[in-house]
Amino acid sequence: MKTRIIAKLDVKSEFVVKPVHFEGLRKIGSPAELAKKYYKAGVDEIFFIDIVASLYQREIRYKEIAESAKDILVPFAVGGGVRTIDDFSKLFHNGADKVVVNTHALQNSPEIIDNAVKIFGSQAVVVNIEAKKWDNYWECYTDCGRIQTGKSVLNWVKEVENRGAGEILIQSVDCDGRKRGFDIELIKSVVDFVNIPVVAGSGAGCLDDILKMRTICKPSGISISSLLHYNELTVSDIKEALKNEC
Amino acid sequence: MSVKVGIIDYGMAGNIYNISKAIELAGGKAGIIKTEKDFIGYDKFVLPGVGSFPDAMDEMEKHSLKDILIDKIQDKPTLGICLGMQILCKIGFEFKETKGLNLINAEVRKIECSGKVPHMGFNKVKIIKDSPLFKGIDTSLEEFYFMHSYEVNNYTDVIALTDYSEHEFVSAFQKDNVFGVQFHPEKSRDSGIKIFKNFITI
Repeated sequence: MKTRIIAKLDVKSEFVVKPVHFEGLRKIGSPAELAKKYYKAGVDEIFFIDIVASLYQREIRYKEIAESAKDILVPFAVGGGVRTIDDFSKLFHNGADKVVVNTHALQNSPEIIDNAVKIFGSQAVVVNIEAKKWDNYWECYTDCGRIQTGKSVLNWVKEVENRGAGEILIQSVDCDGRKRGFDIELIKSVVDFVNIPVVAGSGAGCLDDILKMRTICKPSGISISSLLHYNELTVSDIKEALKNEC
Repeated sequence: MSVKVGIIDYGMAGNIYNISKAIELAGGKAGIIKTEKDFIGYDKFVLPGVGSFPDAMDEMEKHSLKDILIDKIQDKPTLGICLGMQILCKIGFEFKETKGLNLINAEVRKIECSGKVPHMGFNKVKIIKDSPLFKGIDTSLEEFYFMHSYEVNNYTDVIALTDYSEHEFVSAFQKDNVFGVQFHPEKSRDSGIKIFKNFITI
């Protein structure tokens, strides 16, 4: 099956922003406008992540979410600040097809994964992981790379798989927004370690980065932000490049 | 006059919003059915699904939708999507053995294959029996979005199959007026809208 190309929108307040190392935010545009633009350009899926909702304990931005879901006929995954089953339910009713969890599951209650899976099914539960590399292992971070958790990435991916999560979004605190290539070792370790789909993010700087990572790691999906936001590559460029390479 | 399609809303999980949007794009008129009283005035029904098999059946019972739905499906064309397709079957094995609506003689079981599960992403369909549902679909090019861990095991009403990781499963069935698709037409770009158009004109 073809690798999915996913446009990831990092949202703060009512804007899509692009952090570098998850810091130093730049405003790119409104989520609804960008979701529509990338859908028309041919992406296979759109991720909408509110990057400050957990950190500042903000309410989930249903208005922007529903607006963004309005014109796109591909799957729409939404995360940021998700704490309860009721949040999941409201997100689905506002146009989400999948819900992404991170901070709450990692810091307070991993059981939210099991509970959500029982009600909504595995396919609707995505776990976002922000990994930072240390000498001999990767550590999970939360709140957009700000909070250290002491939890090993590989232990956590296995745990979320066992709890029934349907998909993992793996991002790298070290590589995110730098456009110098993916953390290939991290992505490969995670893809090989679990039997659920893995979406690889953080670090795409050019087509070669994407091709190389895809060839070595074979993720189910690749999440792209900066390259699309700054119009450095189009979705067709990426799909064309991936077409001849299996 | 446009065809009125009633979408069954049974509880917490439901991508009603996306499905009604897709039906309107396909030229139909979409409405939402939450209780027994809401069934009046529709030409067709869509049974959506985000969720697990037992939970969906519980919600059906809780909202007293089960019996009337079985009754209505007998005379109005109905399209089940993903879990909506699965609960049209006789029995499901997600978490525990649960009885479905029993309109299709099939079992719903976990996908057993070497690939990663859930099966997630755009994939093709192979039509094995002519059905108005796939009219005008070019199966060599067009793809549909799948997101599921369970599959329908059926031998008699299959209209399309899909390959995933050297495993072949039922991606669509039809028995008289009852249609089911394992993929999400509301999430499958223009190809999905074609499916809704076909369903509306059946």
